[in-house]
Amino acid sequence: MSAVFLGVRHHSPACARLVERTIRELRPAHVLVEGPAEMNTRLDELLLGHDLPVAVFSHYRDEDRAATSWAPLCDYSPEWVALRAGRAAGAEVRFIDLPAWHPAFAERVNRYADAEVRYAEATERLCAHFAVDSPDALWDRLFEVEPDQGLAERLDAYFTLVRGEARADARDRARESYMARWVRAAVDIAGGRPVLVVTGGFHQPALRALVAGGDAGGGGDTGGGCGESGDRSVGVDGWPSGTDGWPEVPAPPAGALAGSFLVPYSFRQLDAFSGYQSGMPSPGYYQQVWEEGPEAAADGLLRAVVDRLRSRRYPVSTADLVAARSLSQGLTALRGHPRPARIDVLDGLAGALITDDLEEPLPWTSRSVLRAGSHPAVVEMVAACGGGRVGRLHPDTPAPPLVHDVAAQLARAGLGSPGASYRLDLTDARDLERSRVLHRLRVLGVPGHERTEGPEHGIDPVFTERWECGPAPGREAALVEAGAYGGNLAEAAARALTEQAHDGTAEAGALAGTLFDAVLCGVAGLSDGLLDELASRVRVLKTPGPLGEVLATALGLWRHDRVYGVARGPLLASVIDGATGRLLWLLEGARGGPGVDVPRLRAVAAVRDALRHAAGLLSLSPATAAGIALRISRDTEAPDDLRGAAFGLYRALADGTHGDPGDPATVVRAVAAAGASTLGDWLAGLFTLAREQVTGAGAGAESLIGVLDGLVGELSDDAFLSGLPALRQAFAYFPPRERERIAAVLLERRAVRGSARGLLRTAADPLLLARAGVLEENVSRVLARYGLRAAS
Amino acid sequence: MSGGAVRDEVLDGAGPLSVQRPPAEVRYAGELAALRADDRDPRPPGWELSLRAARRFVIGDEAAGISRKFVGNPSLVDRALVTLATSRGLMLVGEPGTAKSLLSELIAAAVSGVSTLTVQGGAATTEDQIKYGWNYALLVAEGPSTRSLVPAPMLRGMAEGRLVRFEEITRCPLEVQDSLLSLLSERVVAIPELTGPDGMVFARQGFNVIATANTRDRGVNEMSAALKRRFNFETVFPIPDLDTELALVEAEAATLLRRSGVEPPPDRDVLEVLVGTFRELRAGAGAKGGSGPAGAERPSSAVMSTAEAVSVAHAVGVRGWFLRGEPGSAADVVACLAGTAAKDSPEDLARLRRFLEQRVPHRRGPQWQALYDARHLLAD
Repeated sequence: MSAVFLGVRHHSPACARLVERTIRELRPAHVLVEGPAEMNTRLDELLLGHDLPVAVFSHYRDEDRAATSWAPLCDYSPEWVALRAGRAAGAEVRFIDLPAWHPAFAERVNRYADAEVRYAEATERLCAHFAVDSPDALWDRLFEVEPDQGLAERLDAYFTLVRGEARADARDRARESYMARWVRAAVDIAGGRPVLVVTGGFHQPALRALVAGGDAGGGGDTGGGCGESGDRSVGVDGWPSGTDGWPEVPAPPAGALAGSFLVPYSFRQLDAFSGYQSGMPSPGYYQQVWEEGPEAAADGLLRAVVDRLRSRRYPVSTADLVAARSLSQGLTALRGHPRPARIDVLDGLAGALITDDLEEPLPWTSRSVLRAGSHPAVVEMVAACGGGRVGRLHPDTPAPPLVHDVAAQLARAGLGSPGASYRLDLTDARDLERSRVLHRLRVLGVPGHERTEGPEHGIDPVFTERWECGPAPGREAALVEAGAYGGNLAEAAARALTEQAHDGTAEAGALAGTLFDAVLCGVAGLSDGLLDELASRVRVLKTPGPLGEVLATALGLWRHDRVYGVARGPLLASVIDGATGRLLWLLEGARGGPGVDVPRLRAVAAVRDALRHAAGLLSLSPATAAGIALRISRDTEAPDDLRGAAFGLYRALADGTHGDPGDPATVVRAVAAAGASTLGDWLAGLFTLAREQVTGAGAGAESLIGVLDGLVGELSDDAFLSGLPALRQAFAYFPPRERERIAAVLLERRAVRGSARGLLRTAADPLLLARAGVLEENVSRVLARYGLRAAS
Repeated sequence: MSGGAVRDEVLDGAGPLSVQRPPAEVRYAGELAALRADDRDPRPPGWELSLRAARRFVIGDEAAGISRKFVGNPSLVDRALVTLATSRGLMLVGEPGTAKSLLSELIAAAVSGVSTLTVQGGAATTEDQIKYGWNYALLVAEGPSTRSLVPAPMLRGMAEGRLVRFEEITRCPLEVQDSLLSLLSERVVAIPELTGPDGMVFARQGFNVIATANTRDRGVNEMSAALKRRFNFETVFPIPDLDTELALVEAEAATLLRRSGVEPPPDRDVLEVLVGTFRELRAGAGAKGGSGPAGAERPSSAVMSTAEAVSVAHAVGVRGWFLRGEPGSAADVVACLAGTAAKDSPEDLARLRRFLEQRVPHRRGPQWQALYDARHLLAD
């Protein structure tokens, strides 16, 4: 008897039921499952009795690349059911796929990801044919809500169709030829007894053809872009057999470090993979489908959403509930679903509960993650679908590698003794290393290490830290849980930070925090994912001020850091580039009323510094930046202070290609025509960027002071008083010594001999004097009105 | 006037072509008849088609020769139709130019066979344009009677059991909006001037309301909670993926260009640049309150809809052909964008310039490069 092939979708309850039923009916001698073959000797570990979801976590490191990947399993994973039910039925169960360290899995983070990208074209056409929004809706419609009769045939037809049009790449072909090898071995060894093969549906048609073709010794071309002649040499012949008749599990190359371990997993993580790396969405909902069927799951979902909304004080009336239920039932009937599907319930709830215009499309209409600005009811619906289940490993499970790594690192760093406190000098290499270990534990959320003193941010001139280490309840459990992030402490911390950056809000504070954590943990060079994530977070920030602060801090560390070892490093480089581009974009769009936005002006200064000192990192040229600055300085809609700053930025960068913005004196006169307070704002911007324009040597500088002196002198008293606060603020940018120099120039212009310093000192607060002036003015006006002014 | 009468009137004379834009039930009379003939599914009372047939009419069914008329999520159409079969009205909200009115027209044509029972909302809309008014000559001569009564779309929709479309409902004064309250909950209009059974018009099966509202002028926030509760809201979004939008713009622009006597079809790469620009500006402008890539900015006052993209594509083609005898180029796109994306607002012009200067150089492709090189055509 030849093998029975079941093509499944990972994390599909319908497929899991099919696997269970098939095992019951077929009583196979061998059950072969798509999964990491290196775990075959340790299958008992998997079946110890964990609370699912758990995942097989694999790590790999050699000189060229490092990779980590997960194979998540939950109660309704067909692979899990095959494992469990196969064992229970007395079959020999084996994983038959290549180990996660094999190059065929490079860049793949989730072994059980849907291979959506490759068959997108076919599923798109099917979606159009069945008039549904997304492949998930299509899948539910075709398989999850349909009765189980004929499921296997429908799955076959579906996967043959999608595979028939998709081209498998070399990696898929390598995996398939390896899996085919296992199937052939199993058929040989079984000697006529049935063999069941459970793999992803995408591989099933090819696998079937390869196995059939392999027997005949010819090419197994399925018309699906696999089994081409090129496969033969690298495929079947490339996999050596072991002495027991089964294929050998390829060992990692010499010198490489690789391993696979069980780690606890959660529905949140299962749901969190985005794009093609994800499996089926809404694990909480499908868990209920698996346990109680679609009707109960639909009821449960409705109830869960309403409970959640009511607990958040979102009004849900009985009439809304009636409307939601009747809408879902109507949708179920209209769409021809024999039982309610996930989107029927969600659509019904959305129709009945949302009485606003939405900012973002409903997330289940396409395969997208929840975006900021989603309606609160939608957020609760997605959360209710996701479920909060967290897996737990059986206590006898060997601890994941992180646990051993942490113990070793703590011992090596001499941080092992509990109940101790450590004072670390960050300028000392050994202490810095110890600090990094502790910070990595901190970002992983492992309790028991608390920092009581230390630098708070990138420009905090504190170089010592104080840590209190002590026994903490839950430390071991937290470590095992953190084991899901990676095999060693640094990798795990980098991944945790990546996730933190990914989930973080679009605020500069959160970003700066993550960035500084990355600096403290010293994980910058380890993870491209973290760099990408931070750079993409920078690109969504919306306020120039805080973003400018991030840029200034990052630039400062990049240029001058002697402590954390991040100077000239890639982490800050990517942030500096992203922030500079984003800031210029934001600044050109900035609008606002009068007044001086100091953080925004500092942001412009940060851009200037980045262009001056780190031009090599930037993807935009100084000439482009100068062009932008010139446009802002000429944009009459832009805030005055920003225009002044842009003018200063332009002069700092100008190389003459964009034309001369005009002599400062002319520009200042034009600005002054709009009023003294506009002039003040504008000057504040200019002085933030280019003080030396005024105080520096040279005729131009002299004349700018002269021009300003002339302009201020011509102001009427009223205009002067109203513009005074802005003007004062502008000149506050000068340190006392420069102010003194300006005062000297003013005295010289008037040919008065006197102390410049004395001019800067007044008996009272100048604003008080100004207010006195206003009062005096008012009094004399009132007196004049009533003819009470003394004849003079 | 029933649907049949409209149809006859439009089809009379020189045929439908003499009318600039016949209503959906006339344009797609053949498809509707075919759907009605094959319709085996149960129909809600008062409906001309079953829900499934109405859905096929809107979403299209290639095998049965039904064209696709609405490019959007099919699930939106599902929800809209099921809503109309219940006792709540349907409120379509969204940015201008997202085909809300087209959708409501198609649904009304499918469900009631008539899409012309339409109230156009505006600042000057009054209650008699919604419910009923009087023929004052007859009113003075004969007193109030059914002869002197001039029924408005709502009253007719109720009496005939049909869908009534209420366009731009949020542009009406709030008091006028609230006149729908009793009508939607009690499903009856009292005419106090008439006595006897004529004094109460009860809604027949099949009556319901599809309202549309624009998120731009005046959002739905000001609507009274009581009225909101009587509607199910559906937000219609711009076409989510580039390829679909591009295909739509290409097809529509090609039709318009042919009608304008332009021979070459629009260049696909140029269209891609055009649609890409529209999508980018829309993403930057559309989101309010802090989401989207540039959420902190004030929204653009220009409408960057697909319909607007079609009209720019049309203008680009006309320009290229009649000025130079070739298909429009990326430079024409810049020239035409100034008039559309910026209208006469300097702020929008600045936004467009910022996009051309800062974002376009990062795009790859010869046409994007050409667009960047032509940026000086944007007049100051």
